[in-house]
Amino acid sequence: MLGAFVRAFRTPDLRNKLLFTLFILTIYRLGSVIPAPGINPDAIRQCLQGAQTEDTTGLYSLVNLFSGGALLQLAIFALGIMPYITASIILNLLTVVIPRLEALKKEGQAGQAKITQYTRYLTVALALLQSTSIIAMARTGQLFQGACPPSSYMPSEDLLTLITIVFVMTAGTCVIMWFGELITERGVGNGMSLLIFTTVVAVFPSSMARIWSEQSPWIFAIICVAGLVLIAGVVFMEQAQRRIPVQYAKRMVGRRMYGGSSTYIPLKVNQAGVIPVIFASSLLYLPQLAIGLLGQDSDNPVVDFLSTYFGPTGTHPVYMASFFALIVGFAFFYVAITFNPAEVADNMKKYGGFIPGIRPGRPTAEYLDFVLTRLTTPGALYLGLIALLPMLALGASGASGNFPFGGTSILIMVGVGLDTVKQIESHLQQRNYEGFLR
Amino acid sequence: MAESVRRVLGKPGSVDVRPYTKLLKAIDEREPALRELSDAELTERAAELGNAEGPYDRADLAELCAVGREAARRALGERPFDVQLVGVMALLDGHVAEMATGEGKTLAGALAAAGFALRGRRVHVLSVNDYLARRDAEWMRPLYDLLGVAVAWIGQESTREERSVAYSADITYASVSELGFDVLRDRLVTDVADRVVPEPDVALIDEADSVLVDEARVPLVLAGAAEAAEADLEMAELVRSLRPRIHYEVDGEGRNVQLTESGIDLVERELGGIDLYSEDDTSVLPRVNLALHAHALLQRDVHYVVRDGEVRLINESRGRIALLQRWPDGLQAAVEAKEKVAVSETGEILDSITVQALVLRYPTRCGMTGTAMAVAEQLREFYELEVAVVPPNKPCVRVDEADRLYATPEDKEDALIEEVATVHATGRPILIGTQDVAESERLAKRLADAGLECVVLNAKNDADEAAVIAEAGTYGAITVSTQMAGRGTDIRLGGSDMADRERVVETGGLYVMGYGRYPSSRLDDQLRGRAGRQGDPGSSIFFVSVEDDLIAANAPEARGADVTADGEITDPAWRSTVNHAQRVAEGQLLELHRNTWRYNQLIDVQRGVVLEHRQAVLAEGLGDRQLAVDCAGTHADLVEEVGEEEVARAAKLITLYHLDRGWTDHNAFLADLREGIHLRFLGRRNPLDEFHRDAVPAFKGFLDEARARAAETFEALEPVDGRLDVAVAGVKRPHTTWTYMVHEHPFSTEFETVVGRVRGALSRG
Repeated sequence: MLGAFVRAFRTPDLRNKLLFTLFILTIYRLGSVIPAPGINPDAIRQCLQGAQTEDTTGLYSLVNLFSGGALLQLAIFALGIMPYITASIILNLLTVVIPRLEALKKEGQAGQAKITQYTRYLTVALALLQSTSIIAMARTGQLFQGACPPSSYMPSEDLLTLITIVFVMTAGTCVIMWFGELITERGVGNGMSLLIFTTVVAVFPSSMARIWSEQSPWIFAIICVAGLVLIAGVVFMEQAQRRIPVQYAKRMVGRRMYGGSSTYIPLKVNQAGVIPVIFASSLLYLPQLAIGLLGQDSDNPVVDFLSTYFGPTGTHPVYMASFFALIVGFAFFYVAITFNPAEVADNMKKYGGFIPGIRPGRPTAEYLDFVLTRLTTPGALYLGLIALLPMLALGASGASGNFPFGGTSILIMVGVGLDTVKQIESHLQQRNYEGFLR
Repeated sequence: MAESVRRVLGKPGSVDVRPYTKLLKAIDEREPALRELSDAELTERAAELGNAEGPYDRADLAELCAVGREAARRALGERPFDVQLVGVMALLDGHVAEMATGEGKTLAGALAAAGFALRGRRVHVLSVNDYLARRDAEWMRPLYDLLGVAVAWIGQESTREERSVAYSADITYASVSELGFDVLRDRLVTDVADRVVPEPDVALIDEADSVLVDEARVPLVLAGAAEAAEADLEMAELVRSLRPRIHYEVDGEGRNVQLTESGIDLVERELGGIDLYSEDDTSVLPRVNLALHAHALLQRDVHYVVRDGEVRLINESRGRIALLQRWPDGLQAAVEAKEKVAVSETGEILDSITVQALVLRYPTRCGMTGTAMAVAEQLREFYELEVAVVPPNKPCVRVDEADRLYATPEDKEDALIEEVATVHATGRPILIGTQDVAESERLAKRLADAGLECVVLNAKNDADEAAVIAEAGTYGAITVSTQMAGRGTDIRLGGSDMADRERVVETGGLYVMGYGRYPSSRLDDQLRGRAGRQGDPGSSIFFVSVEDDLIAANAPEARGADVTADGEITDPAWRSTVNHAQRVAEGQLLELHRNTWRYNQLIDVQRGVVLEHRQAVLAEGLGDRQLAVDCAGTHADLVEEVGEEEVARAAKLITLYHLDRGWTDHNAFLADLREGIHLRFLGRRNPLDEFHRDAVPAFKGFLDEARARAAETFEALEPVDGRLDVAVAGVKRPHTTWTYMVHEHPFSTEFETVVGRVRGALSRG
């Protein structure tokens, strides 16, 4: 693996691509710690320390995760790529609803370019909205749950300063968006995924440092080992696939027989990726939202029920059980809608392909369905377990809410990491170099 | 800096032609003096241009254009217009010149080719078919003679010697496929002297968009005889008893055939209760499938004829017997078994080349076409070519009318025939463009039934059709033509001699009617461009039905329009639906092109490795040196016995054989891999990355393996009468080769369609 990186660096154009990517990511990280104008960085640091002990699993955990901690520092890149991600999701959903967008999508590259353009406009709009609301929250002190007075970190409150901050943050998001496209275009891997990857990874050192200073070295060591084992496990599971051999029997091929070894359908154990986890978390976020809306202290039995079982700490067994069940359910659901065995079987039949030992047509569809179900069961259970891990660790050790290896983070990290490595490998292989992964 | 500003302001992919127009004055000034010169002196002036090296500077460029103009005036009786000279200058700078139909692209190209040749460059002028290559070369020959450069052309019937001579000329005209097949054949020679195609230098491409974009999706394939196959009469007999729709079904386009459940049952029973899809033995199924393909999809006298006990293919797009074409991978034998004729040798793919790779071999590329701007970005992406838009000599006054939309093809046809009848009554010449041969013939029949006599052109015979289409502008003419037919020939109003011009101009000039929109707006424009040549009057209109393939396939959601009594759709929203469908088709074609390119990149790298090695074996005796090391004992003994030269000859042949053999096998593997690679998408993998992941290890050790096999064969050599017979040791060369283009390849899996469909299924979720 390391050797392959060395080889990658020896290939001039690949080296340039890697260096370019690293360069952009460095600027991105720098921008995440540079405070926006009108913000007192020293005061912010103190506020952060004060707020740290408070609950961090609530509203901001996900948002802050995607901004790499930049949000709570009110940095120029405070918004991160979240607005862009939201915009893409919205436009993706809209393509289903709005016929014109759907038509554009079908027009291939030219249409896609237009949709990208719309995504950018929407990103700017969302960024304006989000930065305004963040500034509003910062001004009232809500951002740090009232841990410190707003006047300390935002000394000037005149309108011009506030507008400047909003504009700087919006511009920051635009720059990040541009960075992502630059990486995709001239660097290695998918720019947006790599930026998310960086932000997810960026909080690791500080969390580790905190554990080091707050806990005994033993616990630190155990957490490190556990983290590594976890990552290794996730890598293993993400790579796991069942290869269903397929043969095309429409012609006589040369004298050498390849035994169909190169033609197969790879079915992943975790076909759904990280999506079920994100779906489940957003769904379970709804009760918390309801609590917030109805008021925490009311005697309302609904609120009482919700805050007992689905409270913000999320460590109640009922919460964990529903989380797990939702993930498993979504995993099956996702596979069911994205992989249609009947269609795949039909397609294979049409072009003369078949699975050795199975007749084409319906028997093939049934077989694919059978394998898929058998495969998705462990896949879904694994996904649920990984997502539950931090909560279990929380419940078991009581080691305050800073176990850094959250399920979502690890799944994203490993997913993006593997994709990027594969792309580098593909680059290398075109030049007849040894690969990374075997 | 200026460049980047221009990029921002100007249309992407276009170059500024103003520097060229500025030179026109200087060219004009030279003209009177040049008129005084004798022919010999003019040739002399042209030759002087060759004294300098490299690209032309401004003074030389003006001189070249002036001399060229004068030469064209004397040799062809045609004095090139200013805009043609602008085109010449753009070509000499390595751009694609966009010049409208009838502006004299051929002459501009010829002057540019001469310009390159005078500076000692070797120019290949690539055209779309053999007829145009020959016609243009012969047409321009007097001009070239006067400028003192040699010209030659190549056609399908040219012999090896003729080709060799033609390629040694300064300027060679050839169709893209002939050139490609020559390059492929050259890769298989065993003697350096057998090569015909020289080092690539300058490629000047006529109809650049067709060649570089449309044809680029289609690789040229060279196949060779591998070994005698056995007739599979048993299977041929068996499939004869199967009945359509009960035992097998053919898909809509007639490209694929599958056994049904009961068909499988029957075949398995007939073959003695075997399991066709068994895991252990899958050798029977391909035989059944081939026999079935031959039986159900290929019809005698439509797809092939049986003559002198041989099965001969018919080239579908041309309706002629294809001389050097055969079906690959056992299908030929299956057809022969079906017809109970002697089974010939089976063919296998020896090598292939894409048009893209073919053109990119040339360090200097340029071209001309009527419609380049629409594909400017592709030309830049794939060929690093920029487009120079040359303004027309006289402004175009053609009227492009809005599409007429109909609900059903029947309504459309009725309306079109009515329109033809109305217009024809005024004597105005009409040209109707159709999508394919079958459509043009059906339409012609309906026109004839309505008492409207017409001429049909469908690219079956380029030469005859060029003569026919040249007359399409005659008073009262009706011509029905496919997109490919009669290309490169001008339609002059009043016939080719323009005798009747005045009368035709009065009727309004040529009336171009499109029988349905083409899969790209560029092709529409090409049809429109048939009218309005050199400022002639003319108009164009497209008749579209929403059930046309283009719209049904690419905008399937569009349904239920309000129609008038005669079936016409007047709702303007539908017009944009048609444009949308066309853009979808364009997007798909681009994706297809890009995919061909992407998948071929790695193969090209690997082929480069093999070819480099082959060159060393062929020219530098590498094989002999390697074998002298690997089989030191045998080598020394043989040298003792038959002499160094004979051993070197045998060593070369053996090494080349194993290299070529290995490459053919590797090619078969890659084709196999490519066929099923789209399935990887189902596992969330990128098929292209997966292709690389599998193709690279398979190539590893390729050269070592070939070397080891060569050593093995070499050890087995036995001298006979002081000679070494390599054939005894198993070295066979394919003694006949034949060619086919992949779109005639009956097994195309339509990879991209499959991926598209799979992707569609996924994204629907």
